[in-house]
Amino acid sequence: MKIVFVIGGLLLTAGCSSMGVEPWDRDVLAKDEMQLTTDALEAATDDHIYFSKEASSGGRGFGGGGCGCN
Amino acid sequence: MSKESNKNISATLATATCALLGGTIAQPVQAQEEPGWDFNTSLLYYGEDEDRIQNLSVSILARRTFQDDRFMTLGLTVDGLTGASPNGGLQQNTPQTFTQPSGNNVFTAAAGTLPIDDTFRDTRVAINASWQQPLGRLYNLGVGASASNEFDYLHLGVNAKISRDFNQRNTTVSAGLAFSSDTIDPEGGAPSPLSSMLNVGDLSNRMGEQDKDIVDVVLGITQVVSRNLVVQANYSFSDSSGYLSDPYKIVAIVDGVTGDVVPRTLAPGITGPSHEYVFDSRPDSRTKHSFYNQAKYYMGGKVLDASYRYMTDDWDIDSHTLDLRLRWPISDKSYLEPHVRYYTQTEAEFYQVGLVNGSPLPAYASNDYRLGEFDAITVGLKYGWKLRNGNDMSVRLELYQQRGSIPADRLIGNQSGIVEYPDLDAIVFQFSYKFGG
Repeated sequence: MKIVFVIGGLLLTAGCSSMGVEPWDRDVLAKDEMQLTTDALEAATDDHIYFSKEASSGGRGFGGGGCGCN
Repeated sequence: MSKESNKNISATLATATCALLGGTIAQPVQAQEEPGWDFNTSLLYYGEDEDRIQNLSVSILARRTFQDDRFMTLGLTVDGLTGASPNGGLQQNTPQTFTQPSGNNVFTAAAGTLPIDDTFRDTRVAINASWQQPLGRLYNLGVGASASNEFDYLHLGVNAKISRDFNQRNTTVSAGLAFSSDTIDPEGGAPSPLSSMLNVGDLSNRMGEQDKDIVDVVLGITQVVSRNLVVQANYSFSDSSGYLSDPYKIVAIVDGVTGDVVPRTLAPGITGPSHEYVFDSRPDSRTKHSFYNQAKYYMGGKVLDASYRYMTDDWDIDSHTLDLRLRWPISDKSYLEPHVRYYTQTEAEFYQVGLVNGSPLPAYASNDYRLGEFDAITVGLKYGWKLRNGNDMSVRLELYQQRGSIPADRLIGNQSGIVEYPDLDAIVFQFSYKFGG
């Protein structure tokens, strides 16, 4: 099983190595609005609300929690 | 071990790994940020309809940048909560009296209304701190700690995350680990799962404070696909153990023919519940697996942010979450961002509308609406603008709607037409202000 993961991981990484851009082509990717999380507080707020009201949490990061949300 | 030899080892490892993958070693490409403070502040109102939960929340997130791409982040959130949640009781054609969770008093739900305990009021203070820094040339390490405190709940947590760049920093692989230790201490003590709701002053079914521990593991890969597209895929594993029941939720004992909640006989001079209810009971462990994918795509100024999450757990809950945001510039300094989110979940295997009187009690039972089957939709709009001094402001309004249904074959006798899934409508208003120090 382990070996499957290792080989899978290597193939994935090898596959990824053919994608991407040169360092001088990162102008768009460097913009604030292109970051995966553009607003950390807003993301934390949403995670907390949905954690309180639904049976799922996490995914983007850790599962959240830290409340006895009623 | 000296810093120098650490560097040597990581450089050797980098060379070896890249050689193995047939890649070349990239040079750092990111410009270093200026040392200084940045602040992100927000004021949030969250309000549910029909006098359910209302929350007013103030947050501040401060980030100090040091030389060599090192960051310290400090966060503080204060929530002021009022209102109530459905307690798991069933709507009846007669009034029902319940003992308050504290065991000190009673409250009554009028005939034809969903039982809601409106004595809920709480203040929650949450803090977090984290440190992030490069480790060698291609690794990045982050460590953090969090704590939050409410009247009846204490959370303490630590976390760490390490990432490594590959392929000229177009690929980043990360691994994170978090541990939480939480304590639940409701007034009067946490009730023993499946024990009966007792008369006022009778705390014989209480177990004092209870604990739960949560371990989270997140493995992720971020890939730059093109000049305009970056994608991320995460797998998360979360294991909770301890007291996972909700001390404030109850399940009705119902008649097997009529479906009505069984009335209770009270001795003269005694104050207590008018009907038979037992406390929520959940397994003492839960394992969740989540698969999360996100893409950010730049389209001539507009940015599409799309994400999808699939979650499955050993309580038999499966969920799908689809989230779409489009950031649409309307001038050089302002933008609109419409947002839509769709969520759907299946019910937990022990979700019960009520338990039939006289039948053996199951090991687990909960009528918490959050463990039922429902769909939810969020629609929102955000407007953000840059001030003359370069600081950012934004306002957003979101509407959140949960709709569930209880399958007809789960309802007994009179329950049809009376007992319904407690739908939820809520609004979120948030004002944010970001400024540099």
